[in-house]
Amino acid sequence: MVFSSMTFLYYFLPVVLLTYFMVPRVAKNGVLLLASLFFYAWGEPKYLILMAATILIGYFSGLIIEKNREKMSGRIALYVALFCCLGFLIAFKYVSFLPLPIGISFYTFQLISYIVDVYRGKVKAGRKLINLFTYVVMFPQLIAGPIVRYECVEKELVSRTHSIPMIREGIVRFVIGLGKKVLIANQLGELADIYYKVEENSVIFAWVWAIASALQIYYDFSGYSDMAIGLGRILGFKFPENFDYPYISKSITEFWRRWHMTLGSWFRDYVYIPMGGSRVGKGRLVFNLLVVWTLTGMWHGATWNFAMWGLYFGVLLIVEKLLIRKYIENAKCINHVYVIFATVISFVIFSSDSLNAIGINLSNMFGMSGLKGITDETLYYTVSYGFTLFVSIIGATPLVKLIGSKTMKVAEKYKLDTVVESVVLALILILSTAHLVDGSFNPFLYFRF
Amino acid sequence: MGIENIGIENMGTKIHKIENTEIQNVEINNTEINNAENKKNRKTKGLLTVIIIGVLFYGYVIMCYIKPAQDISEAERRPLAQRPSLKAESVLSGEYGEKFEEYAVDQAPFRQQLRSSKVMYQSIVMRKLDNNDMYLSNGYISKLDYPMNEKSVDYATGKFRYIYEEYLEGTDVAIYMSIIPDKNYYNEKLFYPSYDYNELVVKMCEGMEYAEYIDIMNQLELESYYQTDTHFRQEKIVNMAVYMGERMNVALDTEYDELKVSDDFKGVYYRQLGMPMKGESMYCLTNSTLENCKVYDHENSKSISMYDLNALNSADPYEMYLHGSLSLITIENPLAATAKELVIFRDSFGSSIAPLLATGYAKVTLIDIRYLPSSRVGQFVDFDKQDVLFLYSSSVLNNSETLK
Repeated sequence: MVFSSMTFLYYFLPVVLLTYFMVPRVAKNGVLLLASLFFYAWGEPKYLILMAATILIGYFSGLIIEKNREKMSGRIALYVALFCCLGFLIAFKYVSFLPLPIGISFYTFQLISYIVDVYRGKVKAGRKLINLFTYVVMFPQLIAGPIVRYECVEKELVSRTHSIPMIREGIVRFVIGLGKKVLIANQLGELADIYYKVEENSVIFAWVWAIASALQIYYDFSGYSDMAIGLGRILGFKFPENFDYPYISKSITEFWRRWHMTLGSWFRDYVYIPMGGSRVGKGRLVFNLLVVWTLTGMWHGATWNFAMWGLYFGVLLIVEKLLIRKYIENAKCINHVYVIFATVISFVIFSSDSLNAIGINLSNMFGMSGLKGITDETLYYTVSYGFTLFVSIIGATPLVKLIGSKTMKVAEKYKLDTVVESVVLALILILSTAHLVDGSFNPFLYFRF
Repeated sequence: MGIENIGIENMGTKIHKIENTEIQNVEINNTEINNAENKKNRKTKGLLTVIIIGVLFYGYVIMCYIKPAQDISEAERRPLAQRPSLKAESVLSGEYGEKFEEYAVDQAPFRQQLRSSKVMYQSIVMRKLDNNDMYLSNGYISKLDYPMNEKSVDYATGKFRYIYEEYLEGTDVAIYMSIIPDKNYYNEKLFYPSYDYNELVVKMCEGMEYAEYIDIMNQLELESYYQTDTHFRQEKIVNMAVYMGERMNVALDTEYDELKVSDDFKGVYYRQLGMPMKGESMYCLTNSTLENCKVYDHENSKSISMYDLNALNSADPYEMYLHGSLSLITIENPLAATAKELVIFRDSFGSSIAPLLATGYAKVTLIDIRYLPSSRVGQFVDFDKQDVLFLYSSSVLNNSETLK
């Protein structure tokens, strides 16, 4: 089940919320757990067993590790648990011909962070199995993140508060995320899809496709993250942020501090720093970065384009770290153009099905495949989706948020802020529902990771 | 003195300090009060937002749960998904989840209004030029039909060639072919792509060298078509029919009574686009010749009327003309000035022009090979000396997979 579906919005969520807030505090985790298991089983019940097995491994290894932290047995328990978790992930994601279990990359990484943090003494091993289960399978973040670490929600799992301002905050965040996904990402997805359907492509449309794809991935994933964070807030949790206007970055280093932040920080804390991080010689640093970024790419999928995508960022980050960082930090405007150009190219690699497709798409963009500059058909679609593209570009900057907060301040003066807020939220909700009812294009990109 | 001064100064400082502390205390108290008020305000505002959105949300949820399921969507002319039955097998395979989502989407309360609001938002706010390939231009709803599907045109000419070789070759029939252009042809708009209709004509003529082409492109104009439907208006094609008759050496009636059958005709494009628009007037033409004609539906083996007024209340009111999509119909004209017969291989456009053509022939046979396979046509029609007309719209030729 995905958040941007009628089943989730109008059948699952209302029943879960009603039950959750009606039961006493002591039963809330139970309700959340049952709802989350139902949520997961809705699409793929057979993989519940795999997920439960992974959690049980995490639970028991956590208890053993905590008791024997300084001993060899603790270390062995750590390695066995990591071997099992990564083994499942590799087997199902990279080796097996079975369909990919939904959310396996996300919940495996959460459990690994839990096991390692218990070993490092950063968190206490969960005594109550129900709490660890709830942490991993909690439906707001189960299938597409953000990758929530145990330390973030450790206290909230035991005792959390619920309040009207938190529910309001959650609703606002959820509805905005829904709008980003349904009203923008899906439209950009339609445009990106047309690239493969037109009779004759053109150079300009290849660029339109590349930009639309880069923006679609951003709105799709950040919208989903917003919805997850919002739902978490309604349920009394504070999940970490996952996106912070990545396309306004001045360098690729900064881009990765703003893009899929929970994945970036996971690789930093559990792979890059244990390998020595940047406090090593140049040769080792290059090696570390290439390993981490190839793994980051491969986390997204078992195809070569994802490995290449990660490697591409690894190379860019190495060049930035060792050669051009000082120059690009001072090069106003050029640094933005550089980041946008580099990320658009990166998402061409990301969105292409194969290495051959990457070559074709890049040659289309750079006019090396004999395409016309523009054709009647591609001009039509460029114009038709022009305003959507414009809105999505503006929306990827903090400008909309700025205008929104200034509007709210003006509305506050006239005591109309609640009305304005409610009307805007209601409009987004109605329009999103309208698009779900009428639209056929509603894929969710990060669902497959 | 100095000491006193120091004392006074100290006292002064003390008093000053006390005053400052009091002021600070007052300020702290004020801040606390302000904070408490702000908190209270935030809570109240939060409560209002939660109530407003909550009522809207749960109101719609209740409707989702209690609204009886509908069988068909008249607007989209398709059956709507029903709640899937709960079976262990379908639940375990995930099929139940997929089917339930289809049901939830299809049976959503205010479905048509929501579809309309999406179209209006996309076209008015987001300036999108079409919605699901439908667009409004100069008050007419059109459908993007681009590019020309050469394979489809080849498939159509292949089907027609089969009919020619199987039934017509070596007989004394006179074969004609005509193409009804889509209204896009007359409703060109900046940026909207359209294919070259002349290219389509050339391709059809090349594929049907055995037929004489009757060019009707100049006999029609945008106003010949309904604003909300794909078809042309019967009362606007009299001259076109007369021209076609002339080309086939037959004199057709030119005088008809216009019978208004509806003031609120909303065609299939209206429903597909989903945008609010005014209904149109709809007419059917009749005269003494047509009133004396006998129409027979061979599919259902019964006599039928020329115009089916009951269809005006159906999902597709255009089916009023000759009862819509019937595979084989004959119109016999006892008042015809000639014994000539006409066989029309046709699509839905043929329903409104056939009565006009019938005024010049003793018998008109309408065959729709979308419903009657071309291999079975010989069972129902003997081809001898008739005029045979292949009359198809460009949209069917460009999407000809339905021809059997």
